[in-house]
Amino acid sequence: MPIDFSLTEEQKQLQALARRFAKEVIMPVAREYDEKEEVPWPIIEKLHEVGLLNAIIPEEYGGMGLKMLDEVIVGEELAYACMGIYTIPMASNLGITPVLLAGSEEQKARFLRPLTEKPALAAFALSEPGNGSDAAALKTRAVRQGDHYVLNGTKMWISNGGEAEWVVVFATLNPELRHKGVVALVVEKGTPGFQAVKIHGKMGQRASGTYELVFEDVKVPVENRLGEEGEGFKIAMQTLNKTRIPVAAGSVGVARRALDEAKKYAKEREAFGRPIAEFQAIQFKLADMLMGIETARAYTYYAAWLADQGLPHAHASAIAKAYASEVAFEAANQAIQIHGGYGYVREFPVEKLLRDVKLNQIYEGTNEIQRLIIARHVLSE
Amino acid sequence: MDLSGATLILDQMDEYAVEEALRLKEKHGGEAIVVGFGPERAEEAIRTALAMGMDRGVHVVFEGFADPVAVAEALVPVLQEEAPTLVLTGGQQADWDSQALGAALAEGLGVPVVAWTTAIELEGDTARAKHDLDEGAEWVRVRLPALFTTQQGLNEPRYPTLPGIMKAKKKEIRKVQAEVRPKAVLLSEEIQEKARLGRILDGKDPVAAAEELVRLLHEEAKVI
Amino acid sequence: MVLVVLDHDGNKLRKGTLEALTRARRLAEGLGEKVAGVLLAEERAPLEEARKYVDILYTATLGPYTAERWAAGVLAAAKEGAKAVVAPSSRQSRTYLGRVAYALKAGLLEDTLDSSLEGGEVHATRYAYLNRVTQRVKAPLPVVLTVKPNTTPLAEPLGTSAEVVPLSVPQVPTVEVLERVAEEKKGVSLTEANVVVTGGRGMGGPEAFKLVEELAALLGGAVGATRAVVDAGWRPYGEQVGQTGKTVQPALYIALGVSGAVQHLAGMNKSKYIVAVNKDPEAPIFKHADYGIVGDVHQVLPALIEAAKKLKD
Repeated sequence: MPIDFSLTEEQKQLQALARRFAKEVIMPVAREYDEKEEVPWPIIEKLHEVGLLNAIIPEEYGGMGLKMLDEVIVGEELAYACMGIYTIPMASNLGITPVLLAGSEEQKARFLRPLTEKPALAAFALSEPGNGSDAAALKTRAVRQGDHYVLNGTKMWISNGGEAEWVVVFATLNPELRHKGVVALVVEKGTPGFQAVKIHGKMGQRASGTYELVFEDVKVPVENRLGEEGEGFKIAMQTLNKTRIPVAAGSVGVARRALDEAKKYAKEREAFGRPIAEFQAIQFKLADMLMGIETARAYTYYAAWLADQGLPHAHASAIAKAYASEVAFEAANQAIQIHGGYGYVREFPVEKLLRDVKLNQIYEGTNEIQRLIIARHVLSE
Repeated sequence: MDLSGATLILDQMDEYAVEEALRLKEKHGGEAIVVGFGPERAEEAIRTALAMGMDRGVHVVFEGFADPVAVAEALVPVLQEEAPTLVLTGGQQADWDSQALGAALAEGLGVPVVAWTTAIELEGDTARAKHDLDEGAEWVRVRLPALFTTQQGLNEPRYPTLPGIMKAKKKEIRKVQAEVRPKAVLLSEEIQEKARLGRILDGKDPVAAAEELVRLLHEEAKVI
Repeated sequence: MVLVVLDHDGNKLRKGTLEALTRARRLAEGLGEKVAGVLLAEERAPLEEARKYVDILYTATLGPYTAERWAAGVLAAAKEGAKAVVAPSSRQSRTYLGRVAYALKAGLLEDTLDSSLEGGEVHATRYAYLNRVTQRVKAPLPVVLTVKPNTTPLAEPLGTSAEVVPLSVPQVPTVEVLERVAEEKKGVSLTEANVVVTGGRGMGGPEAFKLVEELAALLGGAVGATRAVVDAGWRPYGEQVGQTGKTVQPALYIALGVSGAVQHLAGMNKSKYIVAVNKDPEAPIFKHADYGIVGDVHQVLPALIEAAKKLKD
């Protein structure tokens, strides 16, 4: 199969649409939502209007059927304008993916179609206050009682948790079975006993709503179970294998933004009689940024391609996610450095880039976990 | 100046034309056709119009520089074949900064031109429209078919949505080779340099300095 | 002959017409041709004044302006043997001359900065790509040429009075003019304005902005503000130019009492011409200015307004 690095006509159009949306709809208000720590519903509505929200839902359920590479193209463009705001549709896709992977036809129609008919979000709840990386040690308990499960426990750091129409919750039927005891349940908004508490004071990505979810004797019908009892952990891992890739795309978008801002500033700012862009110290930083962006993007596209081809992509997505987030963090860091004092104040866009993209090294599997996945792959061959 | 790597996008002024065509079609029915003139890679701009909702496209393919009159001459037979009720185009082309295309097309088609339109209402065989003059504006009534040139204020162009982009994949773009006989020849093109002049005057005598500044802006910079 | 379209306001020839005449005379001289004028009127026209500037004057009274009527009028005159049609640039002239150029199968040279005859062809300079590129173009005769305002010296009267030839202009299908509307000057949009006049902290307070508005109105432009001014509540956020406001690219950007902080520059440094007035000679804005005055903005601004008013007349 020949390697082709060019985008198709539709992909170019998709990119142009996302880029224009980012510039016209997101950029003008990103800072305001960040400062207010407020979820931008007008933007979510507009994303729905242009077809970019929940776009991975297949056409047979009323969606756009976007592939991973398409998502990556969109992700980079939206994150360029604001990673926090991009996390909202990204996390919605994260909630949708387990339904796509493990849901029955009936469940897919039931859960996914409503997300295409109006601006609405989904969410994915795996992490708990006491365990993130040690996912198999989750404590949220599900007990089967006839035609439903009773759910008790708490989930933490759940993006869209308070806004979502439904949340995919991973719970254990028997802690002793560890990962073999996990079940995936779709909990609908408004189910009695289900509460979402917003987490305040985040360092960055403040436009994205992050929640603690509390379940007190929540009754979840058996029809809302995805796959079989005991398959929950596998479903979660398969999901994350995929959804890491858009995170990487978001990181690339942030890195690109950091470079553009740094470049603009360096050409204007003068020191010692010349624009600082003429000094090697600055030029080396800009070069390093581009090196990171180009390699991170190329590899992210590769991971997306593997996913779209149905080829194994667990370690590739891990590489993409870890690498791109580290590239982006460093790019934001150097962009601040290039701006000097101005980089340290909120009026300039670069300090937000660092605050936002730091989370990319933590969520959807910390970079340390990514490295375990990669090492496992190295040692298995 | 080298455009070989540049992406050719739908001219912003033409976006108003596309949007108006879509609105008129949504209100009154009919077919909305987008006609583009330019090199192969201009097809992307036509696709954008299709993604916005135009029904089909015609691409008159031509590489190189062609003045608006030559472009109009090439497009007139294509348009006559389509026999449109209305023709819409941007008031000014963002590449050559030309305002002539609409008028030249109208002349070739033998129809009136309403330039710099800010409102159109169809009334059966005629249309009522508001358009700008050099000073002020006017309402006119015109028998259809007629040609309208468009500008900001006519409407708010819609986004080519993702569903639109996917539908556009299946829409037809008919390619036509054109007889183009440019009369104007482009000799050279240069991007203007941005080095600042740095002509700073002493304002001790503010009136004299102000007068000198205004003189410079008028005579040297020719910008007022 | 070289035909000039004589634009007027009913009473006087417009300034642009005198520029077009200069260009037409240069072409006519090179071609060994006469200069003819075509004077089209809705009702009235400055006949005696027009006769002083051309060798022969074609006239017609056509009723309300429409592009088709004016095109028909120009074509009726051009049929008398025009090798070139020259007119001052305006939206209207560029519209009806688009029709004329097509009808004559002429080379169209629009909104030119200069024009000359070389080897029997007309060469001209003009802007393209939204004023960012300078083009040199040429076309063989016949040519339709429009003249950009403020590019050419004004023609003097010839000292003679031309023969007047009334034209017979055919009726043409055209629009029916229903109602003319004098536009209330709805403010020019900041991002589309050709001229932006911005006031900074150096203006001292909100009242001083009345003069900023006056200068902007005189120059047909929009008012801008720096972030400091908006934060202070003197002007609305919609006028903010800069990093966290709007980015503008007018032909002329005038910064009054603006220091030139990077945040502000980011929003306007692609302007064609930047003018700065500031009392501090070390203000960073001067490094980015084409023209400037080091002085007290409260004294310079009124003087600028006076000078601009004088220019308008």
